[in-house]
Amino acid sequence: MPARTVRAVWLLTVFGAFLWLGAVFLAPWLAGRGASGPARFVYAVFAPVCHQIPGRCFALEGHPLAVCGRCLGVYAGFAAGLLVYPLARGFSRTALPPVSLFLLLVLPLAADGAAGVIGLWRSPIGLRFATGFVWGTVLPFYFVTGLADLVRARRDRAADRALEKAAATK
Amino acid sequence: MPAQKPEYLRPALIAGAVAGLLSGLPFIGAANCLCCLWIVGGAAIAAKLLAADTAGTLTAGDGAMVGALTGIVAAVADSLISIPLRPFSMDLARRFLDKAAELGGELPAGLDEIMAGSSGLSSPGWFLIGVFLTAAVFTVMGALGGIIGVSLFGRRTLPPSPPPASAVPPAVGPGPSDAA
Repeated sequence: MPARTVRAVWLLTVFGAFLWLGAVFLAPWLAGRGASGPARFVYAVFAPVCHQIPGRCFALEGHPLAVCGRCLGVYAGFAAGLLVYPLARGFSRTALPPVSLFLLLVLPLAADGAAGVIGLWRSPIGLRFATGFVWGTVLPFYFVTGLADLVRARRDRAADRALEKAAATK
Repeated sequence: MPAQKPEYLRPALIAGAVAGLLSGLPFIGAANCLCCLWIVGGAAIAAKLLAADTAGTLTAGDGAMVGALTGIVAAVADSLISIPLRPFSMDLARRFLDKAAELGGELPAGLDEIMAGSSGLSSPGWFLIGVFLTAAVFTVMGALGGIIGVSLFGRRTLPPSPPPASAVPPAVGPGPSDAA
């Protein structure tokens, strides 16, 4: 897979991830300035992916962030993993991370989440953030690699179709 | 000869419909609050179904494609399921939280604002915007789940680049084992 394809996908993902992370903070910032309509819209964007219970969210200017502490941890971890990506593996390696690493990093989040659901303990928001962050760091190594491979495959198929078309017209 | 394109639609429809149904159900759908569990999990299952249906090995790109399609199907299914269940879901959530408060649990601050805000976003325009936003988010999460699914259930490396034509050995006739 060409390194420039991976680099382009990585750059787009960095842009999207920081835009998404910024929107998490934009909602309370807007609410704090009295722009309740735009703030509600931004909160609504995140509603499908987070319960947004204020008691489980960090706050900015007295208003809860658009996602809970655990989700914020996942997004922050994703952004951190993206920044580490070029240093950790460059743009030419195309293998996905080992399954064992994925399972190891998801374990704290799964244990904390499951224990909370069955009522074993109520973890503090800092721990929720930390377990989400740990899991989030590995996700860009899947996302960027997979998307770059998808782009490559579509390009290859388009090139194949063009060749077939050219051969048919001869 | 171009590589055989895997059949993405069937696994995406099956897994997406189930994930969307689970996402739209009261309480059960709340599992999506844990990092889009139903969507990421559904997309991973779609990758497993795709692996079972495909003769060759899957790439991460195949996982991204089937996962993204699963996310879109799930968003549509979730929205369709949520329409008739919405009043029931709100009422059930309110009663559950009231009961929790009676038993000594602490109601989250700002709950009333959330409930009021949710009911204010039920106009047709907001519904369509919600479907679009949900589809966008579920597509990204689904793509991620599909890639993870390929890593869990399919091959972990991408196919190597084809060797240059000069490196391909010339065709030979059948060997001794072929003649048997």
